[in-house]
Amino acid sequence: MNHGFYPLTVQDTREEIGGLAKSVIFRVPDELRRIFAWRAGQHVCLRFVIDGHEQRRSYSISSSLVSGDPLQITVKRVAGGLISNHINDVLERGDVVDVMAPYGTFCLDTAPNLRRTHYFFGAGSGITPLISMIRSVMCNEPHSTAYLAYGNRNADSILFREPLAGLVEGHGERFGLSHVLSAPSMWSGFSYWRKGTVDREAVEALIAENPPYAQDAQYYVCGPGNMNNTVKAGLMLLDVPASRIHMENFGAEVESDTSVSGIAANARIHLDGRTHDVRISQNQTVLEAMRNAGLSPPYSCQSGVCGACRAIVKDGAVHMRARMALEDGEIDNGHVLTCQSVPMTDRLSIQFD
Amino acid sequence: MLHHLPVSAYTSREWFEREQRHIFSNTWRYAGFMEDVSEPGQYISVQAGLSNIFIVMGRDRRLRAFHNICRHRGTQLIRAVGKVQKALTCPYHDWTYDLEGNLISVPDEEREFGRLDKSCLGLKPASVDIWKSMLFVHPDPDAGSIMDWFGEVDSLIGPHEPETLPEYEEARNTYEIAANWKIVVENYIDVYHLSHLHSSTLHMYDHAKAEYGFVGPHFTFWEPPVPDYAEDQDSKLPAPRVIPADQNGTWVPMLFPGIGLAASEDGWNVFIVEPVAPDLTRVTNRSRVANASAWAFSKQAARSAHFWSKFGLGGKYEADDATSEDDPMASGDFTSEDIYACEQQQKSLSSPHYEVGPAAVGESPVLTHQDVVLKWLDRQQ
Repeated sequence: MNHGFYPLTVQDTREEIGGLAKSVIFRVPDELRRIFAWRAGQHVCLRFVIDGHEQRRSYSISSSLVSGDPLQITVKRVAGGLISNHINDVLERGDVVDVMAPYGTFCLDTAPNLRRTHYFFGAGSGITPLISMIRSVMCNEPHSTAYLAYGNRNADSILFREPLAGLVEGHGERFGLSHVLSAPSMWSGFSYWRKGTVDREAVEALIAENPPYAQDAQYYVCGPGNMNNTVKAGLMLLDVPASRIHMENFGAEVESDTSVSGIAANARIHLDGRTHDVRISQNQTVLEAMRNAGLSPPYSCQSGVCGACRAIVKDGAVHMRARMALEDGEIDNGHVLTCQSVPMTDRLSIQFD
Repeated sequence: MLHHLPVSAYTSREWFEREQRHIFSNTWRYAGFMEDVSEPGQYISVQAGLSNIFIVMGRDRRLRAFHNICRHRGTQLIRAVGKVQKALTCPYHDWTYDLEGNLISVPDEEREFGRLDKSCLGLKPASVDIWKSMLFVHPDPDAGSIMDWFGEVDSLIGPHEPETLPEYEEARNTYEIAANWKIVVENYIDVYHLSHLHSSTLHMYDHAKAEYGFVGPHFTFWEPPVPDYAEDQDSKLPAPRVIPADQNGTWVPMLFPGIGLAASEDGWNVFIVEPVAPDLTRVTNRSRVANASAWAFSKQAARSAHFWSKFGLGGKYEADDATSEDDPMASGDFTSEDIYACEQQQKSLSSPHYEVGPAAVGESPVLTHQDVVLKWLDRQQ
């Protein structure tokens, strides 16, 4: 029984970043070419039997079909990882591995007539699907441009450092590469773009330094840990529509902003030089409660856009449903939009400007 | 008939309206230079045939285009140019949209409307893109890739990189020609007239060696400098070079509909043709020049002055034959000559005795353009 697995022969392997990762190239026989015609960004599932136990792992394909390269995965060693170390230590040319047909919806499908600006945000081994996408864009979308912000610890831990440099050399006018290093070595002559991580500031800087020329802009995010959410939040702060943001979703970290109804609270309101005590019921906004109480606070759009109803929370906490009118710095200083705020503490003190 | 089109195509309101609907509301329209909307919150509005469309830049520095119509009472939402923060509010009833066009706020929504499905009341999107440093809009949000429209001429309109050339703002010019837009376009692509109407204004280029033709609906044109101008050309260019030294000549395409470019060794210009009425056309010119200092421009002008004084730009007619001091035919300015020819042609159209003679080989683009117009109107009906 093959359960959707196909035995593929390892055509070659290549050590990456000083043995911390390994690229594995598979030979796809002609009769399987259609099944193994992958889209840039997809992954394959590999099956191993180790010590009598079946193990399955998915790895992104790090090569591009449209550039004519063979099927390749790149596997970074995970400390204590059974399969990643098995692949790095044991797998070699001529071995046969059970591989499932490529799948996944984190894809970039290219076409020569399309003219787009692709932004890529990656870190560590998150580069594997991205480099496949970037290569595809370079090969198959001659009018499109790509920018990559790529986070790593230091120059020696950069996967595909040379191939990426090669892409810059070959397509410098259409590919911008920005290395972000969290712990760059003082002694390395390697020049990088920023120190730190691929965070909100890096997102803003990449776009500010490389505004889109082709206006069909798309954003691809693939990194470990919190990077995905951080980058997505950074993009959303810039009003990038969610429909243009493509993230590799590993299933576990789905985090949706569930609507918050707030709690009932007593609020002390400082407005126009006078102090009022107002009861806010559950699910009511601060503004609604004030108006019900007969107060005349400033407000206008009632949707968090105009900022007319802004005030400062001196004591207690609120949840804001929308916050368009406020800058991040203002929020840090305690500013809220009362039309969007529901209490999160049963006591509040709110000061109007 | 003017060859393939009836006279009414140049004079009647009915033709004009068909063209507005089926050609100018149905193609990528020039909307300005990329610099015109270059920071978040900045916007412009542009008339694209029957549609008024505005372009606004978001904080992600991506352009959005929307039909400039509030979804409440259809009021034009924003004025021609300006800067908004993060939302667009219609002045009439303060309906507010975000920069994605979503309706996000209706004042006193519940009292006035009860439940309102705001998600169905977003601004109607249009398409926007930048090509060759120019903004383009298309009234259809699903217009597809702009390269489907311009891709095939992309490499045939000159080696210039207009994105790297600053605008020469003093050269901005808008004027009206009392002639149908097709007369203006036909004049632009009439190769035969170059040696005659412009015998003393464009004779630095070798019209006999012109290479021209159509790629889809778009006209392409290139011709080399005459030997006298080509030799040691860097000392003769009126302004600093903008293309590689081993390339010379002038590229004068007319992209459909009415998007003219004129690029040569020392500059890159647009010539945008916009129908105003059956017998009235607005032309907008903007220019890009070398990214060089004022000093470099003065130096080049001084260096080339000797050549130009000898080479002799002049009027078609000598001063003695001029009807007045500002006779375009004695102006020595090829644009004045073109305007004059277009208007004189339009004037004749109302005569019952109007008739055209045979078209010259160099006028074949005129006939092809007429076919393109016909085909485009047919296809849309």
